[in-house]
Amino acid sequence: MRRHGDLEAAVGGAAVCALLALALPFDLLRVLVGAPLLFFLPGYAITAAIFAHGRIPRSQFLVFSLGLSLAVLALGALVLNYLPGGVRAGWWAVLLFLVVLGACRGAALRRPKRAPAPIAWTAPRVNGAQAGLLAGGALLVIAAVVLAFVPLSATNALGYTELSIRPLEAGAGPGVRVAVGSGERDDSSYRLVVKFGDGEGEASSRIALAPGQTQVLELEPPDNSPAAMSGAVAIPVTATLFKEDSPEPGRPFRQVTTVIPPGEGSG
Amino acid sequence: MPSEAAGEAADAATFKAMEAGATKLRRGTAMRSDSTPSKARSWPEVGHLAPIVLSTGLGLALCSLANALSRATLEPALPVYWIGILVLALPIFYRLTASEASARERLILVCLLGLSLYCVKVFRDAPLFTFSDELIHAFNANQIADHHHLFRDNPILAATPYYPGLEGATSALMKLTGLSVYAAGTILVGAARLVLIASLFLLFQRVSGSARVAGLGAAIYAGNFNFLFWGAQFSYESLALPLLLLAMMALAEREVAPKQALRAWGAPVVLAMMAIVVTHHLTSYAVAGLLVGLSLAYWYVHRRWSPPNPWPFAILGILLAAFWLFVVASSTVGYLSPVLSDAFDAIGNTIGGEDEPRGLFQAGSTSVAPTPLGARAVALAAVALLAAGLPFGLRALWRRHRRQPFALLFGIAAVAFFATLALRLAPAAWETANRASEFLFIGLAFVLACACVEALRRRPRDRRTRPLIAAGIGLVLVGGAISGWPWDSQLARPLRISTAGETISSPPLALAEWAEEMPEGRFAASTADAGLLLVPGGKMALAGSSPPIEDVLDEEELAGWMLPMLRRNKIRYIAVDRREVSSDSLRGYYFSRRDKDEGLRPPSVSAKFNAVPGISRVYTNGPITVFDLGAQR
Repeated sequence: MRRHGDLEAAVGGAAVCALLALALPFDLLRVLVGAPLLFFLPGYAITAAIFAHGRIPRSQFLVFSLGLSLAVLALGALVLNYLPGGVRAGWWAVLLFLVVLGACRGAALRRPKRAPAPIAWTAPRVNGAQAGLLAGGALLVIAAVVLAFVPLSATNALGYTELSIRPLEAGAGPGVRVAVGSGERDDSSYRLVVKFGDGEGEASSRIALAPGQTQVLELEPPDNSPAAMSGAVAIPVTATLFKEDSPEPGRPFRQVTTVIPPGEGSG
Repeated sequence: MPSEAAGEAADAATFKAMEAGATKLRRGTAMRSDSTPSKARSWPEVGHLAPIVLSTGLGLALCSLANALSRATLEPALPVYWIGILVLALPIFYRLTASEASARERLILVCLLGLSLYCVKVFRDAPLFTFSDELIHAFNANQIADHHHLFRDNPILAATPYYPGLEGATSALMKLTGLSVYAAGTILVGAARLVLIASLFLLFQRVSGSARVAGLGAAIYAGNFNFLFWGAQFSYESLALPLLLLAMMALAEREVAPKQALRAWGAPVVLAMMAIVVTHHLTSYAVAGLLVGLSLAYWYVHRRWSPPNPWPFAILGILLAAFWLFVVASSTVGYLSPVLSDAFDAIGNTIGGEDEPRGLFQAGSTSVAPTPLGARAVALAAVALLAAGLPFGLRALWRRHRRQPFALLFGIAAVAFFATLALRLAPAAWETANRASEFLFIGLAFVLACACVEALRRRPRDRRTRPLIAAGIGLVLVGGAISGWPWDSQLARPLRISTAGETISSPPLALAEWAEEMPEGRFAASTADAGLLLVPGGKMALAGSSPPIEDVLDEEELAGWMLPMLRRNKIRYIAVDRREVSSDSLRGYYFSRRDKDEGLRPPSVSAKFNAVPGISRVYTNGPITVFDLGAQR
């Protein structure tokens, strides 16, 4: 590959990109180094190998570089699927590097000595006014992207309240995990009543939530309840939520149920 | 294997042929304007590009503002949106009609157009996928990233894991960069869009010998019904179609290449075809069909089967597609055959008068507001304009390009496009017609671009010609967007909203976020809820009619067959959504609005599970309730 600076740069770039994409801790940096390896270098190397003896127009070379890189990615997963460990980051890095290395080697063998690189880069010449217009366009695009990704207040969207229940993890003893989440538009206050078994015990809590807040409670049946003592029978649990700031605060607002399986009792 | 010397001669000949092509372009008055600028005057086109980039940025900002207004449930979002689209596109269209623009400038302009229109779709949905197909493919990509193997089950569309090209490529991005499936998929489809529009330009340029035809053709293609939204989604066709155009572009170059260079130009064709076959079923069949047509067209023009007649590629395309279909992805037969047979039945029934013709602009549900009359008029005017331009385009094509096999194929495709419009009147054939239009519009775009350039050549001094053509393409773009995507879904809806400094998710999204925290267990849910349970919920979720999940969710009483059917399908959780819109894979993901009435199913659709022994009601957020059927033992 000596004497062909573009091919040397492609192989060296692929090696560096592959290593950094695997090693760097921050996603943004990994995107920056991964992008050439994923979207350009494999296609560039393959195109250079295919058209090693003649030159094709720059626009076609660039389109082939991007398009054939996508083709390599689409086919690559199929190859990696049958390797030990399957489709993993390390294998992707190795595969893409090998594609670039192999194709560049092929290009170097076929390309005439002292042949120029297939793509000659020319920097655009812009004056102050043009630079200003281009920068203005870029700023508008950035503003558009930011606006698209920022959540906004939606005046007419209907809020809601979530209530969920599930038994505590195995080994954590008899009990339930109850979560109350507010998707309401304003601060809300609730009363949560959790009943264990048939009149064996009841726990009650007052909960105040701001929009977007969730409160999780882990509740156990009263120690003296027969079911909790024996641990031999399943304990049905019902959690009822009352919304205190609703027009009918005494009416159940949400209700969920679960069963604590037998064997979780303290006895 | 050819010797190095032979290969060297071959590629040198290719280069000479390319040079000759460029020289040919420079001949004649009209062609001269399309020539590539010399090195000494590199990038002179910046002078025209700079204000166009500014107007494109302004158009995108307006589109983003319109989506923001719509998410905030404020008006007037739609007028701002359409103004944004026109501000973005019209300056590009106008510049493309100019005779003095260079080929490179035109290529940059169409790339700018393609990427900007892709951004319009991205701005609508950010920061989550919300098209039903996107959620299916995103689930597949997550499965590959999490489990490191292809061909894992998809509970909603069983055929999709067997076409892993898109998801495999996405997993590469996810694995090597740490990006989420949304970010990786959005970048990947953006790159594919760039390949699509650039390949289309280069293909048209090679076939017509004119960069002006190429630029206008690519711009007209942006007006196809599916370009703005459906074709820009994270779905397998969004990668396969650009690869198809890449292969076609290489084939067009191969046609004019010297004999020794044929093999070189064939290599990218084969690579792209292989990638298409593992990426999308319909596109792989389209490639095979297109290559057969091209081979026949080549024979018709040149009366020979010898190279560069592409018949060997046609055989290869058929063999590859058949191998993949019957050896790897046999479930595709069961997926596609009902769609196609229903389409044929519907055509027969509609012609025979047994079925009512499908109304144009007809929504799937009565609760969806109809498309306004003005918008319908714009869409129909766009189709009328396309039809009016067709005879002129065909005449120009016959006069100038009838010795080009590709051009003949484009002419046939252009006529066939209008035949598929008739299929839209048959209810079950609508989808088939819609899918075919994306391929056939390639030919129509070329034919109409020939008509536009012919008009520009005939009236070089008429100052009205260029603005009229630019406005006409603008009409086609807007009309295509209206025809291709429901009027009420052009803009974003509130999915995540901000209140008191916090972000809250819509009820279906909140369900998915809750499910994400749950231990393993398969869900049954309405179509929209199931999509979000796949991504971001990360759960296996069944929906639809096979198995009959939607019957279980819709019925007011629990029938004897329901629980055994759910248990047979290993369902642990059933999510009952009272919102009727939850069955709508386009509109079911968002917040309900207090200023719009929403259809609700009766409370009994949910209450029927309350009293069943062994079933717990484990989650509710008002409209949506989840029941736990218990672990399978």
